[in-house]
Amino acid sequence: MIPLTRRRLLRNLGLSAAALPFAGSLRAADAPAPKRRVIFVFSPNGTVPDEFWPDANGEGFAFKRILEPLQPFRDRTLLLKGISNQVRGDGDGHMRGMSCMLTGIELFPGNIQGGSDTPAGWASGLSIDQEIRNHLQANPATATRAGSLCLGVSVPNRADPWTRWAYAGPNQPLTPIDDPARVFQSLYGGVKDRETLGSVLDGVSAELRDFAAKASAADRELLDRHLTHVRELEQKLRQADTGAQRHPVPPPDPKLELVNDRIPDISRAQIGLLVGAFANDDARVATLQYTNSVGQARMTWLGIPDAHHTLSHDPDHAKESHEKLVKINTWFAGEIAHLAQRLASIPEADGNGNLLDNTTIVWTNELGKGNSHSQDNIPFVLVGGGLGFKTGRCLDLGGAPHNRLWLAIAHGIGHPITKFGNAALCKDGPLPLAS
Amino acid sequence: MGSVSAAPDGAAVYQAQCASCHGPRGEGVAGKSDEPLRGKRSVESLTRYIDRNMPEDEPEKCVGEDAAAVAAWIYGAFYGPDAQTKDAPRIQLSHLTREQYRQSVADLFGSFGGRPGPFAGGGLEGKYFNAEKMEQHKEHLLDRVDPSVVLDAGILAAVPKLKPDSFSVTWSGSLFAPESGDYGIRAVTQNGVRVFLNALPWREGREEVPVIDGWVSRGDEPRAEETRITLTGGRAYPLRIQFLAYGQKSASLKFEWKPPGGVWETVPTANLSKQWAPTAAVVSTAFPPDDSSHGYERGIAVNREWLDAVVAAAADLAEFASQQADALAGTKPNAPDRVEKLRNFCTAFAERAYRRPADDVLRAAVAKEFDGQAPDVAVRKTVIRVLCSPRFLYPAPPSDPADGFTAATHLALALWDSLPDEPLRKAAAEGQLKTREQIEAQARRMLDDPRTRHKLNGFFHRWLAIGSSERIAKDAKTYPDFSERLIADLLQSLELFVSDVVWTGNSDYRNLLLADYLYANPRMAAYYGLPPVEGEGFAKVTPPPGQRSGVLTHPYLLASLSYFKSTSPIHRGVFVTRSVLGRYLKPPPMAIEFMDDRFDPTLTMREKVTQLTNKPACMSCHEVINPLGFSLEHFDATGRWRDTDSGKPVDAKGTYTTTGGETVNLTGPRDLAAHAAASRDASEGFVMQLFQHTAKQAPQAFGPDTLAKTHDAFTADSYHIRNLLARIATTAAMPTPATP
Repeated sequence: MIPLTRRRLLRNLGLSAAALPFAGSLRAADAPAPKRRVIFVFSPNGTVPDEFWPDANGEGFAFKRILEPLQPFRDRTLLLKGISNQVRGDGDGHMRGMSCMLTGIELFPGNIQGGSDTPAGWASGLSIDQEIRNHLQANPATATRAGSLCLGVSVPNRADPWTRWAYAGPNQPLTPIDDPARVFQSLYGGVKDRETLGSVLDGVSAELRDFAAKASAADRELLDRHLTHVRELEQKLRQADTGAQRHPVPPPDPKLELVNDRIPDISRAQIGLLVGAFANDDARVATLQYTNSVGQARMTWLGIPDAHHTLSHDPDHAKESHEKLVKINTWFAGEIAHLAQRLASIPEADGNGNLLDNTTIVWTNELGKGNSHSQDNIPFVLVGGGLGFKTGRCLDLGGAPHNRLWLAIAHGIGHPITKFGNAALCKDGPLPLAS
Repeated sequence: MGSVSAAPDGAAVYQAQCASCHGPRGEGVAGKSDEPLRGKRSVESLTRYIDRNMPEDEPEKCVGEDAAAVAAWIYGAFYGPDAQTKDAPRIQLSHLTREQYRQSVADLFGSFGGRPGPFAGGGLEGKYFNAEKMEQHKEHLLDRVDPSVVLDAGILAAVPKLKPDSFSVTWSGSLFAPESGDYGIRAVTQNGVRVFLNALPWREGREEVPVIDGWVSRGDEPRAEETRITLTGGRAYPLRIQFLAYGQKSASLKFEWKPPGGVWETVPTANLSKQWAPTAAVVSTAFPPDDSSHGYERGIAVNREWLDAVVAAAADLAEFASQQADALAGTKPNAPDRVEKLRNFCTAFAERAYRRPADDVLRAAVAKEFDGQAPDVAVRKTVIRVLCSPRFLYPAPPSDPADGFTAATHLALALWDSLPDEPLRKAAAEGQLKTREQIEAQARRMLDDPRTRHKLNGFFHRWLAIGSSERIAKDAKTYPDFSERLIADLLQSLELFVSDVVWTGNSDYRNLLLADYLYANPRMAAYYGLPPVEGEGFAKVTPPPGQRSGVLTHPYLLASLSYFKSTSPIHRGVFVTRSVLGRYLKPPPMAIEFMDDRFDPTLTMREKVTQLTNKPACMSCHEVINPLGFSLEHFDATGRWRDTDSGKPVDAKGTYTTTGGETVNLTGPRDLAAHAAASRDASEGFVMQLFQHTAKQAPQAFGPDTLAKTHDAFTADSYHIRNLLARIATTAAMPTPATP
């Protein structure tokens, strides 16, 4: 039942001494250097290469149909071809594609059997988002109240290597929160609960006075004490409300049901919360996971009732399926564009441009192509700035291990590690993306 | 009244010799004699007592005629029953105790769903499948009821056609939590396991959330997947366990729990059932302990911690309500009448919580919440509002009308620590809860309910001073086989015994003291030298004649009333004096620690205690305590029978003097039990304590002769405990004259 996993209300309310100060107050008083942030976005089942990769690389590239929605951000986009997930070992392509993506390291042996290969367990190392988070949290100047967010959209409630990509350490998968109400509750629940309680306690005081008026003198003493404590609590609630957010985040629609057909609304709600958290500097790292590896979303809002993973297995010559997969992937690109647009619309509180100037979105997939389960040419779409990468181009990296991209991102954040995940895959150092 | 003789003036003697410690009107003096001089000794008994013991430092100062005069005066002035009536306790406003809060909340939410049938243990339903690749349920092998959730090579070999390296099992049913508190739950396995316990049921857009998700193995490394969950006692909770072994060298599983105060063990068969149970609202907020300064828990402590807990629990439960709103209100997300259904739910929720039908004011208040606010927000706010309301928190305040709803409230609190159920609400609404007969008929109906057993179980825990077994620790050198496991067995044995006496047959209180049998499992039988027990569970066994007698000689009590290495006749004697014989003992005048190494090691425990307590100041109480404690000296610190102590034969003989001044010769445990079973003080003390535990008020608050009348009916009824409970509940529920 839910109450067990919820912390005591008063702690949530921010009324206990242990509660962290509100919104961004951990930030150093004068912080002129721009913030550096990163968001990892996952969509499943591979892309459609002929409608995804530009015909030409370099700065003169042109988006094909799938990336068309990113046109307004063409100059802020860095498209990386020729990166492959070279982590091998136990587990099928989907499992390794998912759980070795952000970790860059093998899965432990285990009992989870995929459609092929050997059974496997969890990843044997932490994920790059958590590596960066730990680095930022270790320094008071870059630490935030939440550190990182681990968000999902329509993630099945089952924990296995297909449904988890962020790891706090070996055998420690993180659960993406796919309910916007829960995300809101964990970030800002205290504010909302304080409002509700404040209005309720007002009524309770009045009722207690009535109740006491009817009681005998001896019993009244007990009720008077009760009333005193209610008043004290009301006062505490009022005082706590003075620290409001700089960038107000509205609560998600309480009627939003977590069902397949509401995926577009859930996606927008999660993006809103993610952007709000960055605007309030509650976190600087996030993962956003659409469904899961082998995800079976049915995009009825695009007129596609078929299940995504099943479609992705159809052969290249199946024209109808090909067209549907293009539409599905285009829809994901639209969500990335929306995320970029929301970030770009909010000026930085410290005057360093807007949020997108200092945030890099990394959109990827567990496979290069669905029907071949290839882990070569995995789509990596980087949108935004702040890591010192040169954008507005498409690069072909000729089959580099993806561990090297994580090194480049860590370096861009200001965390110059030389190894991440499988060390052998890091020997050529971070990918050179600055120029 | 002619006072021509020179007979002493009782009042004057009292003021001169007694008042400095007892106060001018026997009300007590802090730090001297705290306890008010109120009691039930006769004038003769008082005289004897004062003559021999008072004043404490110079008992020879007030003897003979002086003692008689003081006794007569205090008896008439404040000590005796008629005098006490003048300042009798009244029915005091009190809030729900912790347990009443938990039980009320469970029934409040539970009243909007189906109620499960009576819990019948026996195990969970297991469904076995062979798995293949990604298909867990490839081949259905068999369904059966498993007495416990344990898999090992032997058990697996017995399942025909099972492929040991690729199979799955799903167990389902319910788990019964005997006590309220935090339960450790763990699954020990090298394979995949998920445990769903009291999970919110599946609905569109929400899957069930497991309390343990250990689906992914770590190679073949064995793991203990562990969690803690708060449960409310006396209830069953839905349980489902999924298991998967795939591509691994071996397969095994143990599903274990650690109940409050218990040890890790395989969940017993008696606590697992294949029957369904609904998801229950559980209060996981920690409430501060209730005031028990009067010897029983009641809700008279109002402080910041309590209010914080009330508010935190209300917010948690509002979350539960909003998760379950449609199911509670009997509607669906897009139903056209959804708002109306939710509003009706809120009104019904409030009237059940307030234990009284909604009036116009309440209806208007609920309607107002729904006005211009999202209905789901209105539900949340109403739930918080109701659970923070004094009308929920202070049940049946003296200012409420003395009608059927008040009677129903008292009955439900007395027997269940909870809210009136549907039959009670109906009887109240139809005016069928007015006469004593009507109320008693409901009380008798309510006896046959797991909540009544739970409440009575709580009483026996209190009466027998059963705490957490973690407190019973013994020196491993002296008692190498006295394990944590054995302590848990002892507790279970004691509970089985009490439950056997109370809930079967003639429910005779005297059997609690006189029964010559006890429950034992093989481990207990081996340790205590009892007749052998077949199988693994508990069975009734009869120890050698003359050794054991009911609860007084139960090894759990004897072990808990002992020191780390040695017995403690004082602890045992005090327990017998206060709890069993119903006598008042004042706190010791000085705190003296028993230090074993200060004594000559060749002395027996009896000799050491005799030396330690031989001062006159000590003996006024210890002349009562010691012989009672000595009579149990045949039992060592773990409750095992012994014939010698420090190499000398045990001397269990003694002479005990009753409050009435009679002397009783004790030669051992059975004499003690026989005296207790026949003692009026003892049975009256039992009635008093059960009354307090049940009604959470002093019996005198219901009339000066309530205790005596209840006790008379109890003895006339062959000391029938269940009937006594029904009678107490009825008395507590009967209309009382309004207090001024």
